[in-house]
Amino acid sequence: MAHENSPGGVGNLVTLDGDSIRNATSGMDLAQRIEGRLAYATDQRDLSGLLYGAILRSACAHALITRVDISKALEMPGVHAVIKANDVPGLNCFGIVIRDQPVFCDERVRYEGDAIAAVAADTPEQARAALDAIEVDYQPLPVVSDAALAEQQTALHNSHEKHGGSNLLARETLECGDLDDAFSRCAVIVEHHYQTPRQMHAFMETEGGVAIPDGKGGVLFRVGCQSGHRDAEQLADILGVAHEQVTVESTVTGGAFGGKDELTVQPAAGLLALKTGRPVMIHLDRFESCRTGMKRHPVSVKMTTGCDAEGRLLAHKAEAILDTGAYASLGPAVLENYLDHATAPLYRIEAYRVSGRLVYTNNGVCGAFRGFGGNQATFAVESQLDELAHGLGIEPAALRRINLRSPGDAGSRNQTVRWTAPPAGVLAAAVASPLWSRPDTDTGRWLTGTGMAMGAQGNGLGDGLPDSGGGRISLSPAGRICVEFGFSDYGQNIVESIIRSVCNGVGCREADVEVLLGSSRGPDSGPTSASRSTVLVHGVLASILPRWMDVVRGHASRVSGHPEEGLAFGPGGVFFNGRQVLSYRELAESASPDEMAASASQDFPVAPDSGQPVGRYLQLQIATVARVAVDRLTGRVRVTDLHHVTAAGRVIYPPGYLGQIEGAAVMGQGMALTEDMTTRDGSYLADNLDQYLIPTFHDAPLQRVDVLDDTPEDDPFPVRGVGELGIEAVAPAITAAIEAATGVRVRRLPVDPGDLLVAMAAKEQTL
Amino acid sequence: MEPVNNEVTERQAVRVMRPESPRQAVSFAKRFRAPYIAGGTWLQPSCERDRQWPVHLVALNPDWPGFRGIQETEDGLSIGALTTLDELARHPLTALYLPPLSGLINRVAGPGVRHLGTVGGNLLAGGDLSALALALGTEVDVVEGKGSNRRPLARWFQDRPASDLLRSVTVPDCRGWGVSVEKLGYRERFSPTRATVACVHAGLQVQLAVCGEGGPGRLMVTEAMLRDEGIRELTDLAIVVDSELETLGWHDTRLRLAVRRMLESGLMEVTRGA
Repeated sequence: MAHENSPGGVGNLVTLDGDSIRNATSGMDLAQRIEGRLAYATDQRDLSGLLYGAILRSACAHALITRVDISKALEMPGVHAVIKANDVPGLNCFGIVIRDQPVFCDERVRYEGDAIAAVAADTPEQARAALDAIEVDYQPLPVVSDAALAEQQTALHNSHEKHGGSNLLARETLECGDLDDAFSRCAVIVEHHYQTPRQMHAFMETEGGVAIPDGKGGVLFRVGCQSGHRDAEQLADILGVAHEQVTVESTVTGGAFGGKDELTVQPAAGLLALKTGRPVMIHLDRFESCRTGMKRHPVSVKMTTGCDAEGRLLAHKAEAILDTGAYASLGPAVLENYLDHATAPLYRIEAYRVSGRLVYTNNGVCGAFRGFGGNQATFAVESQLDELAHGLGIEPAALRRINLRSPGDAGSRNQTVRWTAPPAGVLAAAVASPLWSRPDTDTGRWLTGTGMAMGAQGNGLGDGLPDSGGGRISLSPAGRICVEFGFSDYGQNIVESIIRSVCNGVGCREADVEVLLGSSRGPDSGPTSASRSTVLVHGVLASILPRWMDVVRGHASRVSGHPEEGLAFGPGGVFFNGRQVLSYRELAESASPDEMAASASQDFPVAPDSGQPVGRYLQLQIATVARVAVDRLTGRVRVTDLHHVTAAGRVIYPPGYLGQIEGAAVMGQGMALTEDMTTRDGSYLADNLDQYLIPTFHDAPLQRVDVLDDTPEDDPFPVRGVGELGIEAVAPAITAAIEAATGVRVRRLPVDPGDLLVAMAAKEQTL
Repeated sequence: MEPVNNEVTERQAVRVMRPESPRQAVSFAKRFRAPYIAGGTWLQPSCERDRQWPVHLVALNPDWPGFRGIQETEDGLSIGALTTLDELARHPLTALYLPPLSGLINRVAGPGVRHLGTVGGNLLAGGDLSALALALGTEVDVVEGKGSNRRPLARWFQDRPASDLLRSVTVPDCRGWGVSVEKLGYRERFSPTRATVACVHAGLQVQLAVCGEGGPGRLMVTEAMLRDEGIRELTDLAIVVDSELETLGWHDTRLRLAVRRMLESGLMEVTRGA
């Protein structure tokens, strides 16, 4: 790690480089994960009596179902069960916020991935063949495909009367100040439309898992998911059993990014397991995953922003439409986070009104996705600031410098905010990036340019949502310090972060620690989402480690005969006067596990003095500097460099921090340049990763990640979660760089090379 | 003769026939209306996408004489149709005859696909190689029902019976020619070609070809203009190229603009110093 003083004169600026990885990583399952050797739940095929399940999906984007005949499928070879809507003993619906998605549709289908029936058979091929034998008659209905027109079209959910039975699922407005008065005093006003794409998570491991009946009416699920406890509750309601009869083990998961926050294969697998009395595995192939999986909400927004002649932001207005697809999932929460980010949290604005409408359509289903609506809003906000700067004739960085909040300021919603560094310090570090000193070229084939954008990201689920989590620590019979959380590890390597925190707190070695994650029988830590896990892990460990050490020290004193105050924890055991007197194994053998355990739960920190809950209390920042090369011949854009300056508290585990920022940035690059699951009449136009194109290693730029840490010593929340921060400002930084290279401002993502080329050609004509 | 079977089936029910000779392969292909399979990198994803597989496949044998490998002949460079893309990119004769080709192949698919995918398969799918092959005036050696036949690739593209079996392609001796080839994909690697453009300055004349979203084709009208009038005003060239591309099936005006610019750049490169 390279240390230097920050250009802004605040905090300590550290560059996370190769040394920070080599010195910090133990390898763990990283090599297995990279090489495809990590065993997921669906790799465990040696279960006795295992059957394979498959799900029949709707052939129509919107239709009434007039007949479902499973009789032929029941007679197919190897088939053990075929189930449909009337076989669901409990609730035939699910959904994290609103339970509006049927497990199996019985009257109406609302997107091409809707489930109608499911089969369990001896082999996957037999299950697939049986699906083909199920007869379904549809009566097509008009397809709602344009989010802007959705509210004037046939309502997809007749029961949804909140907004007069229309396709408007939610609307929300955040406002402050006198907007009309503020606009009347502006010297420069810019108004533009922005559009962001329907992005797919494209995780390595497609949705899958196995449901194992316990013979007493209960079911154990081993599945790749993000919230075992919440899934267990929903599944018990669907299966019609007591909550205690459902256990969910969130196994090692090959990526999620929000796409496994909602139930996926679990309902069908669980119902088939209970019906057959045998374990049932369902694993979607990539085609089915593309067709049925969650996507990022596409957003269309009109944004109007004004400032005075000195560049002070006075007025800001946004009107957004978010397409949530056929079902709500986490759409209402995404809308809330979008609007929070649309208020431009980093900047002081005298008055704003940002409003959004979340509408149902037949365009698949949208839900949680890294950034959670925030990065869509930041793309528009940061682009607006660049436009204003151009209008004023000043540097974009100068406009930001005028308007950035200071550490003592309230947040954009007048809530208390905890930064870990002054926003001006982050900006100063970004302005000092060496990428700016490389000369831009406007001759030859490749036009190069550098641009920058900033972003803020709050940790936690958000406004008014229940958000708490707990953990447990004990000494296992084998003498290992056993730490339990309900979180899932789907590649972010939270295990290493936990081990590192325990070792730092206890003074033991990594081999002394065992981490158990993801069981709904263990502590309820809440979902693995919203960049909340790291905050809660650190908070809970800070609470329980001292108590647990006191308990264990007392026990060690009684066993060893040494006074408590002289005993110290160390590698492998407990020490007295520098000599190990008991190993952890000897300690474990001397008492029951429950005698040396401690647990705690805590609410996720929210702004303490707000009149109403405002979740954006723990704030992180990022400034991303992008350098691009644009092909004058074709409009093709290469992102050659990304330099991120982050302020997200103390770094506990450098490889994890680096991986999150860099990985999220490449995901943001995909959203900016190539990724969009487009639809026509409710049908996706891509069905696999040879048509839906994510960045490859050859597309990934050189990246540098700097950490500006000015966290106060007494900050009770010095460690923050960075799972989403890296994606926040990438897209607007890239489009700013494209403008620097070509003079063309792109407001619709992903950047279309053809459109860009035509605009570049038009510019050339005027020269 | 057994009745023709056009049905499709599940993957595990596909019958793979292994003929003993190229002639027998052609016979099987005709008799069962079965597609040939070599690397399978195009066939496999297509069938997986449709969940439908042909009942029969005719497996080609790279050990058949002339079907695999690269060698110099008196007509130029002979490349077996079952030569893999990776072999083609790495072969020393490729570097000697066609230095730009390795760079192009490096942008075709990914390493795994290039280890399996063949020259013949790429050409038949109108893949990245077809623009360069057309521009070079490549000839194909085809095994037919009645024997073998050699003809220009451009003509074969226009009228190709499905049972024709490609044995090899022969690239003329292009050492000393100016050759430029450029691919536009959706991303840097592992992307279908949106447009691949090849320009060849073969002694006194320029040869141009494209492949991609508008299909493969030789730009004969543009070549004729260049032959008759030389490279005059690029505006005139742009009009002719644009018109010819549209005639060939390139209907996206924005993509035609990119192709025009790529062609202009390629022309400048291959005619520089000429």
